[in-house]
Formats: sequence, C-alpha cells, structure tokens
Amino acid sequence: MKRRTLLQGLIASAALFPLEGMTAKRQSSLRYLRPPGALAEDDFEARCIRCGQCGEVCPNRCIQYFGTENGLASKDTPFIIPREQACILCMKCGDVCPTDAIEKVERKMEPILEKVKMGRAVVDENLCLSFQGKTCGVCYRACPLQDVAIRTGLLEQPHVMSGCVGCGLCERSCIQLPQAIRIFPDYS
Amino acid sequence: MNKPFFLWKHLNKLRWLTLITVFAMLITIPYLHVYQTYLAAHAYDLLQPDEKQIYDTMEMLTTPFVDDPEEDLDFIKGNTWSGTFGGFQLSDPLSIVGQISASLKVYWPFILTGLLPFILTAVFGRFFCGWICPATLLYELNTNFAAILRRVGLHVGNKRYDRRLKYVVLGLGVLVSVVTGTVVFATIYPPALVGREIYYAVALGGFGSGAVFFMLTFLLDLLIARRGFCRYICPGGALYSLIGRFRLFRIKRVVESCNDCAKCTSICEFGLDPLKDSFGQECNNCTACIAICPVDAMTFYVSLQDIGPQGPGHAGPKYKRQQQELADGQSDNE
Repeated sequence: MKRRTLLQGLIASAALFPLEGMTAKRQSSLRYLRPPGALAEDDFEARCIRCGQCGEVCPNRCIQYFGTENGLASKDTPFIIPREQACILCMKCGDVCPTDAIEKVERKMEPILEKVKMGRAVVDENLCLSFQGKTCGVCYRACPLQDVAIRTGLLEQPHVMSGCVGCGLCERSCIQLPQAIRIFPDYS
Repeated sequence: MNKPFFLWKHLNKLRWLTLITVFAMLITIPYLHVYQTYLAAHAYDLLQPDEKQIYDTMEMLTTPFVDDPEEDLDFIKGNTWSGTFGGFQLSDPLSIVGQISASLKVYWPFILTGLLPFILTAVFGRFFCGWICPATLLYELNTNFAAILRRVGLHVGNKRYDRRLKYVVLGLGVLVSVVTGTVVFATIYPPALVGREIYYAVALGGFGSGAVFFMLTFLLDLLIARRGFCRYICPGGALYSLIGRFRLFRIKRVVESCNDCAKCTSICEFGLDPLKDSFGQECNNCTACIAICPVDAMTFYVSLQDIGPQGPGHAGPKYKRQQQELADGQSDNE
C-alpha cells in the first residue's frame, strides 16, 4: 500500500474514532440502572453490540439508550431511569440479547433473586410519608418481591431487605416529590 | 450467440424490492413494538389521538397473522445489525468481529448467529451491501439525486481514492475496540446506525446523534465521492470483501455480444469497470450492469476467480478495427 493511501486512511480513521473521548474515565453524575441481568459495567460495554433489541422487546418501555451524555464508551447502550419508567422484571431483554451482555434469567423468584443485581433501594426517612406519621405503603405494594425485598413496619414504614434486586418500581410509584425511596445502582 | 438466462435481467428490480422491504420492516418493527407496549398497558382509552392512530393501524396490519399480539409480535425483532426471527437470531459478521475484539472473549452462541450471513457472503460476495443494507437504499437514492444535480449543471463529487482505505479503517476499528473495550463499529457502521436511529425516532421520540454522522456520510457521497463511504470507508464492506474474495457467484461480460457502449461502467455504483472485466472482491452482485446492458452481454457464472481482461467487445467498432488491422497485416505479409 502506498504511504499516501495509508496516511489518508489514518486521517479518515482518526476523524471516525475519537480515541480520547472513549478512553476518558466516566465522570457522569447520572444515576441510571442497567437492564436486569446485565453484566458488570466494563464487561457490559464490551459485550453489548448496540443492536437495540432489549428496548424493542421491553413491554414497559423502560429501556432507553444513551447518547453521548455518559461518555462515548456507553453510547447507544441501554439504561433505565426508574423514576421515569421502572423495570417490571419480565426478563424478555435477557432472552433476546444475542451477546449475553444481558444474561438470560428465568422469570421465577429464585433465579431473579440470584442473578439480577440492578441496585438496591434506599429509603430517605426524612422524606418518606410513613416516617412522618402519615401511613402510605405505596412502595411496598408496588414491589414485585414483597416481603423478600421490602417489608413494612409500624405505620407502613418501608424497610428494604436483602432480597431487593433494584427494579425501581418502588421509586417509580413513590408519591412523594422528590421520591423518598431511590435505587442506588450496582454496576458490578 | 449465448444469451444469458432471461430472468437475470430483472434481478435489479427484485433487488430494489428487497431493499425497500428491508427498509419498510425497519420502520414497521419499532411501530409494532410501540403497539405491543400499548397493548401491555391496557389503556386504549387513555391514548392520545396520534397514538390511537398507531394502535389502530398496527392492529389492522397484524390481526390476520397473530392471535395474541402482545406475545406473538416478539416473533420479529431487531435490525440488520442483529435480529431475531422466531427465536432464530442473525447477526452481522462485523458485529461479531467488533464484539470479539472489544471483549476479547469468545461467546459461541453469538458467533453462531453470524454463521448463516458468513456462509452467504462466502458464496455471494458482498451481496449484503447491494441487496439488504438499509443505508444502501438511501445512498442509491442519493446517487440518483446527484445525477439530477449534475444534469442541472451543479458540481457533485466524483473524486476517486484508493479502495483499500476501508481495510485500514477495519483494522483500526478492531484496534480501537481492543484498546477502549467498546464496539466502535456500532457507532460508525451505517446499516447499524440507520436501523437504530429509525427505532429511536419512532419509539423514543427523536433521532440520536448517530443521525448527524449519517448525514455527514450522505454529504460525503454527494459532494466528494460517489458512494464514497461504501467504497472507501465502510468497515463492513471491507470485511465482506475479504470474506467474499473467493465467492462462487460472479458477473462476467460475454465478450462475443458486448458492443463497448460503456453503460455498465457508468451505472456501476461502486465505480468498478465491468467493461474492462474488473469486478474483483468489491463487486456486490447488485446486477445493475446486467439490467442496463442493451445487448444482454452481462451474465452470472460460477467460478472462484474472475476471468480477467477479455479485450474489446466483439460487437463493437474497436474490435472490428482490430480484426481489420490484423487482416490487413496478414495480407501485407503475404
């Protein structure tokens, strides 16, 4: 190959792949979840081929896709903002994922508890109505894993248990503004 | 005179039909997804008028085929980058190359999804580029638009570069994937991009930043080089050219009936030169040259290699002059 050709190729490619932006460490202030069964963050970005099928099967329309706001490395990868639309743990995205970036998890209690680690709910007792003496309990009723992931105490005060997988339905349903229960993501 | 099989002249129409069907599917599948989400929500009465329109249209389209649309429409998902047809998954070979180089792991179920495209490419060469790629439809329409612009006297790009540039892009893409650990091909490969952006536009409310990149490639084709992206940059085209290097189905010129009119050379989207028998691994079997040939001098044949230059066509003036000169030379010798 002629040197001129190689140079042209290098220049064209340099314009195509903004290297620096891709290797820069992520410093996003976004709080987002990955779909249920997703691999650890670095593995996930390497495995995901950005085909968009997880979003296309999601019956709840909770899966959105990154633009450039979370760094170029995660461009077009799926994420969930639970306050906007939370995951209903239907596990269809794992079934359709061709690369197993989202693992296949059977839609049953045990496999979900074992494999799904989207995050964990944390209650802000200063905001939660039940902790202010007004009986609420909405988060408990929204939870698909009641008494495994969350239980209620006095005045329906929510207590998150070790079974929480972080689907975000509690955060989605919280009637406080801003929400008193939040999912803190677990990217490992 | 050996006439080519008569149907091959109509393959170009079939190709346009295929391209349009694939593109229409890429638009329909996101709408089907939206329809499924409406079904899952069980809230027809709460939909906006335009949402109701989507619901009604999709209901009308799918009712004859499915019993339980909410589940059955999962039958077909995805795009040309990676798709699912009734549990059978197909992926672009480039996505597999990109994914392996990004994760440095071999996940066999995924690689097997690329087996059928790989075999088809090995047999038919770069056929994906001409027959399926959703970006090709837009790029070819763009070429036609450029032809109109040229006719009214505007300057459109007709620069030529080295075709091997795209192999450099492919190699660098693999390298960048390894270094950064992300599948960079997904963001720069037009078919992946088009499928994804259509989905974003239909289901997620607007085009993403990939659409900007796609418009840039569009302008490159229009203003700098005709089909420039496919010919010089596209990493997928490079990969397919490599896989299809020893493809079985090739196009050849029947030198006995060719009259050197050069229509094939001017129609060729990839700037190849069928008149000089130069097809090589770049040819995507789009059959445009077969369709346009006025004397049926283009045909398919099965071979592992091109036949090489055959000289001027026997029905053309140049060949006749050569023969005349030969005859004159022989008569001079005698």
